[in-house]
Amino acid sequence: MWQFFQSLRAALRFHDYNPQPVSIASANRWMNQFDEEDRRLAWELLGKVIYLSEQDTKKILLHQNRVLMANLAKAGLSSRKLIYLQTDDAGSSSPMMLGMLRNAAGLEQQGCKMLDGRDSLGINNTTKKLEEGAIIYVDDFVGTGDQFCKSRAFATQSVVGSFSEFLLVPSICEEGYARLADLGVTVYAGHIHAKAERPLHEHSHLMQGPARERLIAICKQIRPKVGLGYENLATMVVLYRNAPNSIPAILRGSDKQAPFYGLFPRFKDLPVKKS
Amino acid sequence: MPTLRPTHPEVPSVVPAGQLRRLSPDDIKPSTNNPRLLFDPPLLAELKKNIAEHGVLVPITVYQPKGQAKFSILDGERRYRCVVDLTNEGHVGKDGRHLRIPANIVEPPSVIAGLLYMFSIHNFRADWELMPTALSLKIVMEQLEVTDNLALSKLTGLSERQIERCKSLLTFPERFQKLSLDPDPTTRIPSNFWIEALPVLDLAMDKAENVKKLGRNPATEKLVEKYRDGKIKSVIHFRRIMEAHDLAEDDAPQQAKVVRRIDQFFLNPKLETRAAFDEFVVEKKRVQSAIGACDTFIAQLRKFKLTYTTDDEERNNLREALRRVRDYCDSLEQALVGSDDPEAKHN
Repeated sequence: MWQFFQSLRAALRFHDYNPQPVSIASANRWMNQFDEEDRRLAWELLGKVIYLSEQDTKKILLHQNRVLMANLAKAGLSSRKLIYLQTDDAGSSSPMMLGMLRNAAGLEQQGCKMLDGRDSLGINNTTKKLEEGAIIYVDDFVGTGDQFCKSRAFATQSVVGSFSEFLLVPSICEEGYARLADLGVTVYAGHIHAKAERPLHEHSHLMQGPARERLIAICKQIRPKVGLGYENLATMVVLYRNAPNSIPAILRGSDKQAPFYGLFPRFKDLPVKKS
Repeated sequence: MPTLRPTHPEVPSVVPAGQLRRLSPDDIKPSTNNPRLLFDPPLLAELKKNIAEHGVLVPITVYQPKGQAKFSILDGERRYRCVVDLTNEGHVGKDGRHLRIPANIVEPPSVIAGLLYMFSIHNFRADWELMPTALSLKIVMEQLEVTDNLALSKLTGLSERQIERCKSLLTFPERFQKLSLDPDPTTRIPSNFWIEALPVLDLAMDKAENVKKLGRNPATEKLVEKYRDGKIKSVIHFRRIMEAHDLAEDDAPQQAKVVRRIDQFFLNPKLETRAAFDEFVVEKKRVQSAIGACDTFIAQLRKFKLTYTTDDEERNNLREALRRVRDYCDSLEQALVGSDDPEAKHN
């Protein structure tokens, strides 16, 4: 009965996870992979997941954008001086977030410019024309900031004129937040993901002793090299459209979901369907 | 579930320009370029030592873009980098506090002033991508209405040859320029491709009838396709086409044959550069003869013991002759410079 209620809770909470919707059956399947003792630990860890549904994500982006635009207007920058930049390939997180924000906030109707961070000529021509303004990067999640910094470095080489830089993001790790602050990119985030909120992170005290050790061991068994996710970040934020690659393997599962079935596989982790 | 803690950073009010302030390094936004690639390490070490002893004596120049909390540097990137390094190493000033940087705060610069500053930084960087540099140069040329290479060289610090190369890139339509701005180095067309292809395109558009009918942009596309298919194995191979044509300068039937081959080269996607033009050039023998001629020339001059020349007129005549040799050698040496982009895809 306990397991049924936990599975029901998971299904209600994570039902709109895009790569693989969470149902009572899938939650049960995930849980049944553990022996009795580990099952409670796994549920405890699942309870610490910070899930951002589509509605949450949209709400956060819209709110942060409203605040940012108001601040920039106060600083003398009208919406016509704002360039929203996607930092990744079409179909990945950044363009998806920008698309969502553009439609929900009516950015184009307000005269904002939308550009692809890889369109050097577009960035060069637009910044030359505007001469001053703000560049607003949009993404869904930032971990260490490695990927973001790489994309930003490419985009900014084409910027001319005086432009301030901002990042709109539903959630960002404290590591990435500090790095971006050093670079002078101001972050508007719905959530700063502290190390303390990540039970399997070495600087967290949310879980201690043998319980924590046991979960780490399971993660390393599932994905020996990246058991705790990219750069051992062990993040607990899961976004409705895809989990970051920095979540612990116990939540993400094995590559192709075998032998270990994950509750939050990334799109690329799913087995290819035979036609 | 943990509580979501939102951030609402405050946008600072604009600081009046014309102030001299002592800023913490944390108040300053670094340039987006990697300092290790930008600055000569020994010179930077010397400056750092000096700042460690005396602090920053000459104020840097900064401005605050609208809405940004930090100041951007207009002049003084190296002093800033040194202070950041010293602070990270735990260095403190004579007063026992962390180092601060005197800074003149000015109005945000015009596009052109900002660009000229960036040029002054990039000159330290040998591997700076040429296409973005060309785009910046275009703005300088448009806004200042300067097109003379020497004047542009003085303004930007680029060499006249670099300026010439940038200008070559700018002759191509934007859709081709974009191919050299591809973030993926494995699919990016290297800037050198356009520079080496330009004289070939000019020649083909002038003399090859079928290429003329095709039109310049479709002909350019043909070359891009050939490069991507590995039928132009190195951008340097474009020189073989020019060489084949120039060598047949005094031989009309041979030149007509070269032009027909150029037509074929553009229109036949399978025809590879060397396979098409090697028969017209005998490079190895010519280059070996030229190297031999250089050695003979130097040996001959040594034999004449010319340093003992005393007659004024003779000395002047000889100096003038040597200058001519030097100018020719310089231009030849420059023309021989060139390589494929090391990051470009090699077939």
